[in-house]
Amino acid sequence: MPADPRIAPDIVCKGLAKRFGDVVAVDPLDVTFRGGQTTALVGPSGCGKSTLLRLVAGLERPDAGSIRIGDDTPDAVRAQAGLAIAFQDPSLLPWRTARGNVALAQRLAGQRVDAAAIDAMLDLVGLDGFFDARPGALSGGMRQRAAIARCLITQPRLLLLDEPFGAVDELTRRKLSEDLPPIWQARGTTTLLVTHSVTEAVLLSQRVLVFSPRPARIVADIAIDLPDPRPGQETTPAFIDLAEQVSAALIGGEGPSPRRLAAQ
Amino acid sequence: MTPTAAAGAMRMRVPRLALGPIMVLVAWQGLAVAVPGDFLVAGPWEVAGHLWQNAGLYFRALQTTLAAAATGFLIGNLLAVALAALALLLPRAEALIAGLALLVFCLPLVATGPILRVLYGPGTGPQVTLAALAVYYTTFVPVLVGLRATPAAWLDLVRSYGRGRFAMLWHIRARAALPYLVAGLQIAAPAAFLGAMVGEFTGAERGMGILTLQAMRGLDTEATWTLATVAAAVSIAAHGGIGWLARHALSEPPPVLLAPPQTGSGPGLWSGLRGILVVGVVAIALWWALLQIAGLNPFFAKGPGDVWAFLVSGPGADENRATLLAALAETTGALGPGYFAGMAMGAALAVVVTLAPALSAVVMPVAIALRAVPIVTTVPLLVLVVGRGPVGSAALVAVMVFFPTLVACLYGLQRAPGQVLDVMASYGAGRGKALLYARLPAMLPAFFAAARMAVPAAVLAVTVVEWLATGRGLGALMAVSASLSDYGTLWSATVLTAVLAALVYGIVARIERRVLAVFASEQAQ
Ligand SMILES: Nc1ncnc2c1ncn2[C@@H]1O[C@H](COP(=O)(O)OP(=O)(O)O)[C@@H](O)[C@H]1O
Ligand SMILES: [Mg+2]
Repeated sequence: MPADPRIAPDIVCKGLAKRFGDVVAVDPLDVTFRGGQTTALVGPSGCGKSTLLRLVAGLERPDAGSIRIGDDTPDAVRAQAGLAIAFQDPSLLPWRTARGNVALAQRLAGQRVDAAAIDAMLDLVGLDGFFDARPGALSGGMRQRAAIARCLITQPRLLLLDEPFGAVDELTRRKLSEDLPPIWQARGTTTLLVTHSVTEAVLLSQRVLVFSPRPARIVADIAIDLPDPRPGQETTPAFIDLAEQVSAALIGGEGPSPRRLAAQ
Repeated sequence: MTPTAAAGAMRMRVPRLALGPIMVLVAWQGLAVAVPGDFLVAGPWEVAGHLWQNAGLYFRALQTTLAAAATGFLIGNLLAVALAALALLLPRAEALIAGLALLVFCLPLVATGPILRVLYGPGTGPQVTLAALAVYYTTFVPVLVGLRATPAAWLDLVRSYGRGRFAMLWHIRARAALPYLVAGLQIAAPAAFLGAMVGEFTGAERGMGILTLQAMRGLDTEATWTLATVAAAVSIAAHGGIGWLARHALSEPPPVLLAPPQTGSGPGLWSGLRGILVVGVVAIALWWALLQIAGLNPFFAKGPGDVWAFLVSGPGADENRATLLAALAETTGALGPGYFAGMAMGAALAVVVTLAPALSAVVMPVAIALRAVPIVTTVPLLVLVVGRGPVGSAALVAVMVFFPTLVACLYGLQRAPGQVLDVMASYGAGRGKALLYARLPAMLPAFFAAARMAVPAAVLAVTVVEWLATGRGLGALMAVSASLSDYGTLWSATVLTAVLAALVYGIVARIERRVLAVFASEQAQ
């Protein structure tokens, strides 16, 4: 899908820095995320990926630097309900049904609660038959499906996913990463995806950024130019090569790897 | 609960629920038979007969008191919720709001009752107001805790759509705090009944309080036991009914234990003192302003200046101080031993019961039910049994403190993490060792939570019993000065009692926070 810069503007971070007390979560960082693309962020845990995501969402204030989403600040985008964020923990409200949780997003976004759209979305993420179940009655995987449905129902321009499949077992994780991404990929929504899984990063993104341990710097910026649809290509040489580049950068960590330089 | 314990509870459920009340009835009847004469104990049989013969009388009295209690319950709890929401939305004013709320809650009903009676004249005003005053704080505290005990991710969700504090309060916090509200309402139900009865003591036309006064004056054993039974039954029913409603309406059970509300003041002694100072200054300013606005007769309505003159600068201040301090000493003499004895016995019984789990299945439901009994309504009973000496006051305080402590400690002891117990079992540690190293530390937070909430309850108990029965101490001083229209003494004693109670509460809360930091770091935040 062509990326229209008005609908899917780039996210430009300049000199972005954030510290918590003595912990430098984000060292001055310059990075641009392309509009309409999915960018995967991988890096050792604690390196500041979640903080970066929260900064882009306007949930944290930067100590220095700026973030522009097109011409807007994160706060402005938030105020227009232009973004949605999903956490590792689905964070559904236990007293609301799957339907009710999704409806809450529309209500918070100041949109009309559209029952038909909600049901269609729940159907799409594979929660058929569980519309009126409360989170306590859903499995971990089903909760993540509901959380993704909640993210997508408001038609956000920017999707921030912080290890959305992180809290489930490996088998469920694979199923989720097959079922759910096509839904948002079909819309061409700008997406930042934090993930621990190298395979997931290569499978789901057009670009992978690899971070070093804290304070994070970008040690590799790898374009993923595989044709779509991706599932089924995991064993192709091109896929394996890209995955190895990402792994090598992750392990190399401290400096740019030869492979990365070769890739550029 | 371990799987076996859970299975045991399932098997035990039906007989256990019936077992408690049956044991209480049997013990009571046994007591009635064993104690010679008809002057002390009326058994359940006699009470039932007395109730049957005077059904109309008790029904009307109950109706009157219940109406006042229900109105006060509603007003007090609405006020509590509003205060908690205000404290949440104005975090900088929270310590002040909490401090003022505590101070007003610590005003002894024994004194506010007569003052309100003068203000309202005849009617149900004092009953309703006292009922509201008796409940609002015990709802305010859990609701505030509940409003704040929200996972950060839920709040981030709201913020990620560009919404602010009001949307958080409305969509997230209000609902998340419901179980906490229920916990507060359960405590509030008997407290409202008690407040309404104390209001009636100040000179109502009818109601359970009036019947209680009559029964006490006439040393009417049957009426006394009947009144206590009816009050207990009503309170237990209200407590249980609210719990039942909650279980059917909510997916999560109300919390049994609550960390103290986090006040704005930091952990240091200095910031604590500063907080107290601010609350004191604002309280005095409000007190002064309210009297100015209301334009009350200065003979009756004493302001901060009047109390200062009465106690410090005016003529006869030395004498006034001496009178007050003597009364305070008498009250403390009953309050201290009763308070500590009640706490100790509650904790000790909880430990014994935990060592014999079969016993716990029986004791726990009975203790929960009896915790709901407004103990002060049993003052006449106490007079019958112990007499009017200082031992009576201490005994009543002890009983008042005992049941909440027992319930809290039992809960705490059972909450020792199963895995820790399993680890200890794997080393072959016996029950005693498991108790010492795993269960007792788990009990401490519960013990201190109970100790904190017991402070105002104990003050209420001791002043009421002094007023109605023993004729000593601050309670009696306040009652006598009210009937003699000695308003200088009345206001001074009231302020003194409230300030001291609030200070002791604050000290216990401070100790509690220290203990929580060590033994339940997840609650201390
Ligand atoms: N709210 C916070 N307060 C204090 N420290 C924080 C906070 N959030 C993150 N940190 C610290 O910042 C660093 C980066 O955290 P995070 O962004 O969550 O890393 P990642 O998502 O890459 O695992 C970590 O050391 C973490 O402990
Ligand atoms: Mg993270």
